[in-house]
Amino acid sequence: MAERVEVRQSVLKENDRIAGELREALAARQILCLNLISSPGAGKTSILESTLDALRGTSRRVAVLTGDIQTERDADRLRRFGFPALQITTGGTCHLDASMVRRALEEMPLDGLDVLFIENVGNLVCPASYDLGEDAKVVVLSVAEGDDKPLKYPGIFRRARLMLLHKIDLLPYTRFSREAAVADARRVNPEIEVLETSCLAEPGLGAWLRWIEGRLEEKRQAGRPARV
Amino acid sequence: MHELSIAQSIVDSAREHATLNGGRRVVRIGVRVGEISGVAVEALEFCFGMTVQDTDMDGAALELERIPVRFRCSRCAHEFHPVEFLGQCPTCGSDGATMIAGDELGLSFLELE
Repeated sequence: MAERVEVRQSVLKENDRIAGELREALAARQILCLNLISSPGAGKTSILESTLDALRGTSRRVAVLTGDIQTERDADRLRRFGFPALQITTGGTCHLDASMVRRALEEMPLDGLDVLFIENVGNLVCPASYDLGEDAKVVVLSVAEGDDKPLKYPGIFRRARLMLLHKIDLLPYTRFSREAAVADARRVNPEIEVLETSCLAEPGLGAWLRWIEGRLEEKRQAGRPARV
Repeated sequence: MHELSIAQSIVDSAREHATLNGGRRVVRIGVRVGEISGVAVEALEFCFGMTVQDTDMDGAALELERIPVRFRCSRCAHEFHPVEFLGQCPTCGSDGATMIAGDELGLSFLELE
C-alpha cells in the first residue's frame, strides 16, 4: 500500500538554493546584478554595448555574462569596451540557470565590480522561471515587436522589475501602441517600472543609466549597517 | 523547451525525499503547475517519462495539477479568474486586484511504496 507524503517545495529548489548563494556573494561585495531578458533581436546586446560604452569614462566597474545557445559572438562584441565579458554557451539550452552562472563566475573575479549584467538567452518563456541571484529581472520589449507581448508572455512581465520599451525611435514606423503595451504590462504586474530607450537616437539610454545608478545606490544603502 | 531540466529537477527532488524516507520506491509524484509558470504540461509529461525510464523510478506516475490564474479584489476580497489579466472585479467593479495564484511550479506530494 502506497503512502502519500505531502511535500511543499519549489520544483526548482536546487536552482533556487544556488541562486541564494550567488545573491549572498554579490551582496557581500555590494554588487548590483541585473538579468536582461527579451525575445531574440529585441536589442539586449546593443543595449549592453551602449551601456558599457557610456560607463567606460566613469569610475564604475562592470562585467557581463552573456548566454547564447551557440557562438562567442556576443562576448566578442562586448569585450571591445575594456570590461570583462564572458560567454556562457548553453549548447542548446534555452535559458541560463543558476549553476551555469556559478560556473562562469569561477572564471570571472567579482571583486571590485559595481554591476554584473547577465544577458539571458533570447527567449521570453524559459528564462523567467530561473532565479540567477539577480537583484532585478529587466525585460526588453522593442517596438518592432507586437505590443501584445505582455499578455502573451505574462510570466516574464510578472517577474520583471523594469520594462525597457526599446528602439522607441522606430515608433512612427510601426503600429506598436506604447499605451497598450504599458497598460497590459501593468495588468500583469502593477509594480513594473517602464523606461523608453534607443541606442541610435533620442532619448538614448540616459534614463536606463540613471535607473542603474539608483538601484546601485539603493543596494548600497540597504547593505550599510544602520547608524548608531 | 526547458521541460527536460524541469523533469530532471522533479525526479532529483523526489529521489531525495524517498531516500530520506528510508529508500522507498516512488510510485507517484504530484506537481502543481501554474497557468503562467511557462511550463508546457504535455512536454513535461513526455520529458518525465524519458527521465525515469530504466531508472529506479521507472513506472512512477506524474500527476500534474494545473493552477489557473486567480485574482483577489482588494476592495471586496472576491476571488476570480481574470480575462487577459484584467483586474476589474466582476462583483463590485473595483479596479484593484492582486494575483494570488497561477505562477507556481511546485511539488505537492509523493506516493511511496
